Formats: sequence, C-alpha cells, structure tokens
Amino acid sequence: MVQEEKFIHKVSKGSRFNQIYIPLGMNGIFEIGDIVEIKLLRKKVSFYYSKNLKKLSNYKENLAKELFSFLSGFKEIKQAFIVGSFLTSKIDYNDIDILLISDKNIENEVYQSLIEKFNIKFHVITIPAHRFEYLIYSCPLTRSMLSYFVSNKEFILPSQNKLDINHIRFLLMTPEDLLEVNLGSRAYYDSIRRLITIESFLENKPVDILKINNQLTKITGESLFSLIKNNEIIENGQIKFLREIIKRKLDLIKNKLNKLK
Amino acid sequence: MSKNQNIHELTNILAIALRHKIGSIVNKDEIYAQKYAKDYEMFLKEAVKISLRENWNDSDKIKIKNELKIKLKDELEKREFIDNKKFDIIDGEIDNILGVLKLG
Repeated sequence: MVQEEKFIHKVSKGSRFNQIYIPLGMNGIFEIGDIVEIKLLRKKVSFYYSKNLKKLSNYKENLAKELFSFLSGFKEIKQAFIVGSFLTSKIDYNDIDILLISDKNIENEVYQSLIEKFNIKFHVITIPAHRFEYLIYSCPLTRSMLSYFVSNKEFILPSQNKLDINHIRFLLMTPEDLLEVNLGSRAYYDSIRRLITIESFLENKPVDILKINNQLTKITGESLFSLIKNNEIIENGQIKFLREIIKRKLDLIKNKLNKLK
Repeated sequence: MSKNQNIHELTNILAIALRHKIGSIVNKDEIYAQKYAKDYEMFLKEAVKISLRENWNDSDKIKIKNELKIKLKDELEKREFIDNKKFDIIDGEIDNILGVLKLG
C-alpha cells in the first residue's frame, strides 16, 4: 500500500513548461516514474495600487486580496477594481464598490455570490471592455472613480482627456433639473460634486475624488457638507444657497463647452 | 394642494424621470446607460411620494397619461443630444412607469 505523502509548493516558470520541484528531502518518496496528483489549493493573486493611493491597512488589503481571489473564479471577468470610500476613508464607508470589466453582464450573479460569501454590502458595476476604453478618456465621473483604486491587474489612467460634448450635456441634466425640482439633499451633494468634476475635466486637470470633496467642503462649509452628504433635511435658505452654486457652475461649464465646440 | 395641482406636479416629475431613463436607454453604447440609471430612480422616488397623495379614479389616470405624454415629448425635443430613437419608445415607457405607480 502507498503511504499518503504530500508537500505544498508554488508552480514556477520553466523554459518550455511550468514546473513544480520536489523538495530535496522527499526525493526518496517521490521517485522518477511514480504517479502523483496535482491539486489547485489557492489562486495566485496579483495586486496593484493606483499611484496616489496610500498603502491600505493589513485588514483592508487582505480583504481586497480575498475578493480578487474569489472573483478570479469568474472566467468572464477581464479585470477587477475596488474603488470608492472603502479605499479613501478609514471607517466612513457603507459598502465596497467593485468595478468589473466583462463583456458579459454578470453583475447580479457576482453580487449575489459576493454577499453570500462575505456578508458585506457591495456595489457592483460591470462594464464591457470596449466601453471601458471609451470611458477612461471621455467620462469625467469614471475618471474620478478611478482616481484611487486597487486592481488585480496593472492599470494606468490615461493622462489625456477626450471631449464628448453630448456625454457631458447628458451628465448636466440632473444638476439642471435640481434648479426646478426639489429632491433629497443628497442629490445636491452628488450634483455639485459632479459639476466640480466636470469643471476639472474640461480644464484638463486630474479629477481626484479627494480634492473634489475638499472643494465641496470649502464651498458649502463643513456643517452643510455633512448634512447633504448624509441626506439630512435642509432649510429653504440652504437649498437656495446650493442652487445658486449649481447655477453658477452650470453657467461656467456651458461657457466652456461653447468655446470648445 | 388641489387634485389638478397634484396631477401637474406628478406629470412634471414623471416627465423628467422618463427623460433620464429614455436617454440612458437610447444612448446605450455609452456607460451612463448602466451607471447613471440612478438619476432616473431618484426622480421616480419623488414621483411615488406625490402619487400617494391622492386616490386616483379612471378619469384622473387618463388625464395623467395624456399630460405626461405631452410633457415628455417636449422634454425630449429640447434635448437634441439624446438619440432620435427616443421618440420610438415613449409609449412603452409611459405605460411601464404608470404601471409601476399603479396608475395604468
């Protein structure tokens, strides 16, 4: 009877075939001609930081690596990113934003599997590769989302913008609507952030999400910033103040767009 | 607020919500078809609140549908940056949203 002997090793690169070396001390056990079975225990996880993101805490980095390892089980995913406040805030985040590059819409399937496995709130977006290629040049919001990320593959956000006026005008619709329709205060927070992002994009400046948040805090003051970020009820005077900001920014952006036409 | 004023307010916000939704559908080669659908949802939520203010009878429902169609067409005509396919899906989207609000 053959005694069950085993060892754990990494697969290494060979000149013609990848290989697994038998440890020296086990030469007598695993001999030339013996039959063995190879079993995958853990996928290798590649892990890349965007250039301006500080190193995450061990807890967050390990969680992100576990997520990428789990996502590597979905063959349709070409690249996975973690973005958003999970990376940029120490504790002030509600969920983990995951961006997947995949030509198949597997958003729901991945989302359900993630919550089943990790019991954490996630927000999952899938984007087909050809759209992603377009967005990283032409969409201010996508560029700001990717200003901080970790990914399972290397990625560098292109420094060049490409202007798509129709896309920008589409993005301006909600801030324009807010001048006439009253929604929850979070809509003002999102809209002003969106306008600051578009403004920076049109000026060919980096759309760094943290700097955009700082600008918004400066404009609104910290207490109003906190109210609208948390969708709290605000007074009519505050709504009027926020609408004036939106109007000013919209005028500025439209002037810039007219000059760029 | 009178029932007529509520109809006016409801159709205004529904026309905006549908303009966002239709825009994201017909420009589906762009990312916002997927990512910015939440703009539509924000306006829809507000419309739901307004729709709960009244008990609507059949004649109110017809009035809402007719008024919404006129306003939505106007909203879409003003936005020439939204693809012209937008006019082909107006009726279906109106029926859909009114169904969601139990006003169909």
